Amino acid sequence: MTQLKAYKNELIVGVAFLLLLISFAYKQGQASSQSDTSAGNAVQELKEVISLQKIWGDKKMSTKIDKLKTIVSPSKVKWNKKSKKLTASFSTLTNQELNALITKMMNIAVMIQKLEVKKLGTTYQVEFKCKW
Amino acid sequence: MLIHSQMKHVSSVPAHGVNVMLTPQFYTLKREPLPVKYAYQAKRIAPSLFEGLLEDVENHKYFVSKEDENWLFIAYDIEKIKTFLQSKGIEIGQVSKIFFADQTANLFTAPVLLGEHDALVNLNGTMTVVPQIALNPDEKPIHITTHFTPKKGVAFEGRGKSMVSSNEAYTLAAIFTLLAIIYFVEGSRYGGEDEVQVQEMQRLLENHPSLESSYTRKSIAKKYRAIDRKERKKRDVIKALSHMIFKGSTLTSLSLDDKKFKAQFACKDVNTAKKLKALAKKEKFNTSNIAKSNDVKIEGTL
Repeated sequence: MTQLKAYKNELIVGVAFLLLLISFAYKQGQASSQSDTSAGNAVQELKEVISLQKIWGDKKMSTKIDKLKTIVSPSKVKWNKKSKKLTASFSTLTNQELNALITKMMNIAVMIQKLEVKKLGTTYQVEFKCKW
Repeated sequence: MLIHSQMKHVSSVPAHGVNVMLTPQFYTLKREPLPVKYAYQAKRIAPSLFEGLLEDVENHKYFVSKEDENWLFIAYDIEKIKTFLQSKGIEIGQVSKIFFADQTANLFTAPVLLGEHDALVNLNGTMTVVPQIALNPDEKPIHITTHFTPKKGVAFEGRGKSMVSSNEAYTLAAIFTLLAIIYFVEGSRYGGEDEVQVQEMQRLLENHPSLESSYTRKSIAKKYRAIDRKERKKRDVIKALSHMIFKGSTLTSLSLDDKKFKAQFACKDVNTAKKLKALAKKEKFNTSNIAKSNDVKIEGTL
């Protein structure tokens, strides 16, 4: 008992240090179990899959793609949509129409299979093939 | 145990240690009605109160205690006390706490004899050592008991082989405990987050039952990641090429498919062609000049 009293200060520091080590181990354990457990990763992965599916597996794409032909007058468009594929050609497009069309194409989540732009005089001709 | 300069050598000390009470022979005291509220504030100004009263100020430590209206300030030389105790056969490790007779001056209602010649008496509220011949013969001396033990005392710093002082020990312990609390809180937060993740997972799976199987998830992720990467690349190329259309540079043709792209620009002069090629190189595209013109062909793979 006297010995213990003699080393009271060391004992206090030792106990506090032990507590610190235990708490540090606990924190590390929790942190690593979180990074190891797939809970966090799986949620991220699931969110990513849902998000990718929402973008590239959009079931309303067949309707959304129709907006491409509304950008220019119908006389300039040849439209062939079958199942989940589209082949379209646009002719005599002005600079502005070409810009608007390309911008729209870029913002629609379809798989571009072919895109050809040719300048004929002062106008442009566009061939576009895609699927979704 | 009452410690006084005339005390005899102590033959044995209880194993559980001993509390000692010092007579004024081992300390200097002052009572001051200072307007401070806390002991640590009083302790801070203690050295200035004893200025000029002590010979070697540096060796002294201070004890303060609040009395009814005054603050009791006691200056003591710890090394001197240690040496004295050891000379009387009391090892430092055996001393639990040190008290000062003036802390319980009101309990000294009669003299306490110190050896054969001296006595400890309360003179107007201050403990004093006087010769026994000066005592009133009618006064019956008393003995000190555990009843005289004050609530507050001084622990011997560096008792035995202790390498850490009390102050250092408490400071370190406080720091370690604080850090421990932070780690515990952080750890439990991680645990909480984990639970939140599990709940989030369940919620997402309820809304997307087709993704319950991890095999399906991986397969869908693999498929769409490839599409996403490729389609984003195509769009990045188209965007980069559109930035190459500027005054003097006109797009004459563009062709893009799943594997490659090719674009041709008509440039009004050599400088424009150079600028265009520099822009293309920045995007790491291949460039070439069209013979007999300023036109530039840009191509690359996807």
